[in-house]
Amino acid sequence: MINLSELENDALVEIFNIGVGHAAAAMSEIVNEEVTMSVPSITFLNRADAAALLGSKKDGERICGVSQHYDGAFATEAILMFPEDKSLEIVRLMVGDAMPLQELTEMEQEAMSEIGNIILNSCVGTLANLFDSELHGSLPLYHVGTSAEILSSFGSRDDEAVVLMLHIDFVLSKHQIHGYVAFVLDLSALHDLKQQVSHYLAKVLGQA
Amino acid sequence: MNHSKQVLVVDDSRVSRLMSHQFILSKHADWQVIEAATGEEALEKVKTVSPVLILLDVNMPGMGGVAAAEQLRVLCPQTHIILVTANVQNAIRNRASELGVGFMEKPITETRIHQLIESLGL
Repeated sequence: MINLSELENDALVEIFNIGVGHAAAAMSEIVNEEVTMSVPSITFLNRADAAALLGSKKDGERICGVSQHYDGAFATEAILMFPEDKSLEIVRLMVGDAMPLQELTEMEQEAMSEIGNIILNSCVGTLANLFDSELHGSLPLYHVGTSAEILSSFGSRDDEAVVLMLHIDFVLSKHQIHGYVAFVLDLSALHDLKQQVSHYLAKVLGQA
Repeated sequence: MNHSKQVLVVDDSRVSRLMSHQFILSKHADWQVIEAATGEEALEKVKTVSPVLILLDVNMPGMGGVAAAEQLRVLCPQTHIILVTANVQNAIRNRASELGVGFMEKPITETRIHQLIESLGL
């Protein structure tokens, strides 16, 4: 699939760890409470296996996803996913108790898109800074479906297309809410990402 | 004659406009908050209003916040223009600096809005 040295793999995890740290801080400000996150795990999978991994927690669980396409240093589809039945709760935490339920429901989709936009940009923007490079993002798109349906709506329909799965649990201190982030990259984008990691390593190790 | 200050909030997200609106009024209840959903709409609005502050989202459909800032900077030379974005890339901060506009990170919070208003001496 793609060969990363132990050092490159370590750097990639660390870079995403920093990116996700910024995303967690942004999430915490949105919901106004502490957000703890698991250490991100990075796995390269084909799309079918990635969907199976996400779907394995609760079979057929419906998820709401917000995606943004990025290009520049490397091309990727970044997707933030939450269980659909938690999205209204997240929006409620964002806007506070003052808003009537009907109005809240009306803006649920848009508010989730904005939350996705903030979290994904916090993470991706941090990656771009670490790579001394730029990543240009599209507008956020909102999706609802199973993880397999959401993953299959991006890029190549090829089940063998590679997915860099960055899996994180967001845990809100008062609300047990789990979120996932996935980055979908094809082989060419993975090659670009590997190059960026090599440049990063050269820079931090003083070899640039 | 109405002397209350005007602020123009430009964001394609209704919920973000709503939050900015609310946080501005929680500090200055007498201020007038005007909303625009796109950069194009903001350029139209400044023909009829004179805001002391423009909060401008970056990632919007149409011309986008950076292009809008470029034109608003010329049209409203005395106005504080602030790019508001979760895009923390240095490239965006540098562009803001080149254009002579400020930068505020999303998410929009009451503290951030209040600190911004205070730091600008408004």
